Amino acid sequence: MSVISRNNVVQHGPPDGQPMVLAHGFGCDQNMWRYVWPAFADRYRIVLFDHVGAGGADPGAWDPQRYASLDGYADDVLEICRELELRDAVFVGHSVSAMIGALAAAAEPERFARLVLIGPSPRYVDDDGYVGGFSREDIEGLLESLESNYLGWSSAMAPVIMGNPDRPELADELTNSFCRADPRIAAQFARVTFLSDNRDDLARVRTPSLVLQCSSDAIAPEAVGEYVHRELPDSRFVRLQATGHCPNLSAPEETIAAMQAFLDS
Amino acid sequence: MKAEPELLEEAAADLFEDAPCGYVLTRPDGTIVKVNRTFESWTGYSRGQLVAARRFQDMLAPGGRIYYETHFAPLLHMQGAVREIAIELVRADGSRLPALVNATLGRDEAGRPRVVRATVFDATDRRRYEDELLRARRREEETADALQRGLLAGTLPTAPGLELEVAYRPGVSGLAVGGDWYDAFWLREGEAVGLVVGDVAGRGIGAAATMGQLRSALRALASTGLAPARLLAALDGYVRRHGVGPATTLVYAELELAPPRLRFACAGHPPPLLAIPGQAPFFAWEGRTAPLDFHLDARPLAEASQALTPGSTVVLYSDGLVERRFEPLDAGLERLRETVAAHDHASAAQLLDAIVAAHHNPDHADDVCLLVARITARSPAPPSRRPSGDPGRSETVVPLRRAGGS
Repeated sequence: MSVISRNNVVQHGPPDGQPMVLAHGFGCDQNMWRYVWPAFADRYRIVLFDHVGAGGADPGAWDPQRYASLDGYADDVLEICRELELRDAVFVGHSVSAMIGALAAAAEPERFARLVLIGPSPRYVDDDGYVGGFSREDIEGLLESLESNYLGWSSAMAPVIMGNPDRPELADELTNSFCRADPRIAAQFARVTFLSDNRDDLARVRTPSLVLQCSSDAIAPEAVGEYVHRELPDSRFVRLQATGHCPNLSAPEETIAAMQAFLDS
Repeated sequence: MKAEPELLEEAAADLFEDAPCGYVLTRPDGTIVKVNRTFESWTGYSRGQLVAARRFQDMLAPGGRIYYETHFAPLLHMQGAVREIAIELVRADGSRLPALVNATLGRDEAGRPRVVRATVFDATDRRRYEDELLRARRREEETADALQRGLLAGTLPTAPGLELEVAYRPGVSGLAVGGDWYDAFWLREGEAVGLVVGDVAGRGIGAAATMGQLRSALRALASTGLAPARLLAALDGYVRRHGVGPATTLVYAELELAPPRLRFACAGHPPPLLAIPGQAPFFAWEGRTAPLDFHLDARPLAEASQALTPGSTVVLYSDGLVERRFEPLDAGLERLRETVAAHDHASAAQLLDAIVAAHHNPDHADDVCLLVARITARSPAPPSRRPSGDPGRSETVVPLRRAGGS
């Protein structure tokens, strides 16, 4: 199973352009970038992918041990970079993928020229003076929400999704298909995402970074974005007017403009 | 009687306000613009406390809020609608209202999100029932798992001159465990051991119970001294008479320790892999018949025999070990052969670990059952027994779950 099909890698734009890798966060898939990547496809080599366990990634590649921490996901990013021979890439990571990108850039800095971190958080749970915004009980509540929302995942539908990764149109017919996931995988990804502590990794990231902070983001509050900005050795902080956690969907123009300003600087 | 248009207008207002569902209109960021009376009474908030003052997601518990931001809102933007999302609204008094939400996103002429229209349905009873179903499903999975592990627990024969190791990992890709089993027992203490790996069709408690019956029946038949082919024929008869476990596949082998020799028969099961010092490892494709209760005619007798030498290894396994989606079965078999070839001087335990590692199939679609028996160079001495206890816990004797099941 090649990395390309494992992670459902999709490319756009000029093959010789500077690479721009866009990584979706917990919950949905690469469709999260649909309003953003076209703005860069004229000069960047756009690389979209799904994390294993999400979207059109190969469900057979799921491995609870490999994906027991964000490092497994960061390894996947690096494997994609190696496979496509990417260097000096712009990595755009939303939500948990901001930290996944930070880990990848810390491990192989030569592959990344810039990081765009949208709604990053190195630690979601409050911890001894650090305010992440959530308690452990809150994360349990999320797991309950996941459990009561299989999003089209039932015994009847699971074989359709699992058995036909080569026929995505079948899955597309399902309700809520962009956020479909095997409940078992979703639960583990939720735990890994929201219980990880990557605060100490920030200082290892030498790549120039942009922290894009939304207004009233319930997942990554402003104090957390400022923390990331403070801890990263080389970062810029931009506060968007957009509210919520997904400015790439709710305010793509503003998101694109902020990215462009950073990339042109 | 009122004029028709007037009645309709009143009815429409009435339907909005007192509809048997909550209506909530919000801005794209969730800020509440309008609610109906039903929503007010269900949540205990007046519209004055809600409109322009709260966002819809603020009315959810923190866990639900994460779900809203990571699933609900993105889906709404990507699909323009979400359906049947389960949420819990936190009422003014702090109690929770389990609800189902459908929502659509309205856009302006330029295509920008303008408004979210949501209907909220009280799902208290439904949620209680769903919780029961979820609990029942979890219980069934746990029961089947415990049943299968309980049936697999027992003692493994051990003797100088014989190394015996097993690994078992239940498949988890479906919603219940499968019915693979292994077994190893003395046929003649210290001289010959019976080895079994089988695969019962189906999943769940039924498959685990069937596996338990077949395992016991096979042990009983083996104790009468039946050779492999006749034993499988007798087991086939048992399956037919009692309607238990049709289409089961298994391999049954008698391993004599001195002089070392393997006699085996295979009912529709992947072939034993034999590694004999000085030869390349090979699959023993002889002694094969159909799965149990497969033919209506009398079952043909087929078995084969292979002389072994000290240092020889016998590997029995279920198809879950070698099968992977998107890959022909031959590739899995070849991988197994290569792994065994690369470990020709390994102990049974080392080889078992190597095979489990090389065949780690993250798919977890099927049970994986693996048995490695090795004739060591030393000559057999009087037998002893060792307790293997709970196969889920014993690490040194029965290294189960080496493959890291979940």
